[in-house]
Amino acid sequence: MKIIVDYDRCEANAICMKVCPEVFEVRDDDNLYLSTETPDESLRAKVMEAVRRCPRQAISVKD
Amino acid sequence: MQLSDVDLYNAENWVEGVPHEAFRLLREQAPVFWQEVPEADGKGFYAITKYEDLVAISKDPSTYSSWRGSTMIRDLPKEDLENTRTIMLNMDPPQHSKYRKLVSQGFTPRMTAALEPKIRKTTAEILDRVTPLGQCDFVRDIAAELPLIVIAELVGVPLEDRHKVFEWSNKLIGFDDPEFGNTEEVGKLAAAEIWMYANQLAEQRRKDPRDDLVSVLMMGEVDGEKLSEVDFDSFFLLLAVAGNETTRNLISGGMRALLEHPAEWKRLKDDPSLLNPAVEEMLRWVSPVNHFRRTVTRDTELRGQKLREGDKVVIWYPSANRDEDVFPNPMHFDVGRTPNNHVAFGIGEHFCLGANLARLEIRAIFDEVIRRMPDLEFAGPVRRLRSNFINGIKEMPVRFTPSPAVAA
Repeated sequence: MKIIVDYDRCEANAICMKVCPEVFEVRDDDNLYLSTETPDESLRAKVMEAVRRCPRQAISVKD
Repeated sequence: MQLSDVDLYNAENWVEGVPHEAFRLLREQAPVFWQEVPEADGKGFYAITKYEDLVAISKDPSTYSSWRGSTMIRDLPKEDLENTRTIMLNMDPPQHSKYRKLVSQGFTPRMTAALEPKIRKTTAEILDRVTPLGQCDFVRDIAAELPLIVIAELVGVPLEDRHKVFEWSNKLIGFDDPEFGNTEEVGKLAAAEIWMYANQLAEQRRKDPRDDLVSVLMMGEVDGEKLSEVDFDSFFLLLAVAGNETTRNLISGGMRALLEHPAEWKRLKDDPSLLNPAVEEMLRWVSPVNHFRRTVTRDTELRGQKLREGDKVVIWYPSANRDEDVFPNPMHFDVGRTPNNHVAFGIGEHFCLGANLARLEIRAIFDEVIRRMPDLEFAGPVRRLRSNFINGIKEMPVRFTPSPAVAA
């Protein structure tokens, strides 16, 4: 699983960070940072929820 | 009530409140429902009432276009349609993405948080003007004031002009309500007045740039070109109206919901840590924007219903926000509801740019009201806006034990 972020779409709403803080972090500079682009499979459900709930459709996952 | 009784279009059916019984019936029996429209207003539409469908449509602008027929139900003559397409709300990607990027930097969480001290101070001053009186119109004296001041500050409208913007946005949005004019002409005139005002403001900022959104827009470029006059006016119109009306109605509607659910109102007052979930529940409950329209760009299918290119679909936010498949006990107002993934701000391409700002304003108001007007109660009938588009309240008289002003 590889996470792809469209930084042009991201508006730092930080919902991904609420859903899956293990991977997503929106810092004070309003930018999104990933702790890893290829998280462990055990986080799949949380990552997919972040994908679904991003209000801007900025996150996708490639297998 | 049965399906043949349902008419979502007729504003008369929205006078008493959002027609939740009709929506419940539609979600259960006809989630893709054909709704006729009077011939003068154009073709009928498919009413979409399930949460899942609203989300899917909002996330698929290439199939469900905001540009093709605009986002309003009424079909527009060609010239009006072209005018309305200069507003971001009625654009599709990739054009929409370019325009949105220009303004979105003004609305990030960091930019919004920077406004918090100003918003807190303004809120305290608004309450100072009413707490000594013991009674007021909650809509005009409290709910309308904060969004008006904040958006005026943000886009750079001088404070003394903000009530002009209030009157224009009332006329523009309230076209179905006799009190505000009831004709399209009045709306068009209001839009023209806003455009003229925007041009004057732009002219001033061009000469004398400041630290506000108007100045940012004046500097901004799309595809390497400076914004045209029309582009700028449309931005201004959208920000001025979207930032006002919706927040005002959410604050009034949220207060009304609390007063109509005294146990929940007491629960919130007893435990102010519930403020954040309470704000989300007010958003779900009120859903200030009732609908937006999309136009189908290619033949497709939704829940087995064939949709043809050119068909209209209308997505209904208050219905999605009470969808039994998503929200347990959806007709219960619960200030502690968690999770609460409502769609009051929409989702996807057109997700409300001001969501963070709106939340901040709502929190500021209720934080202050809870502390300073804990015994607030209705003092007269609530008067609703007659509209199938905006879930609005025009007047809500309230009374409370008077208390002195506190701000310096």
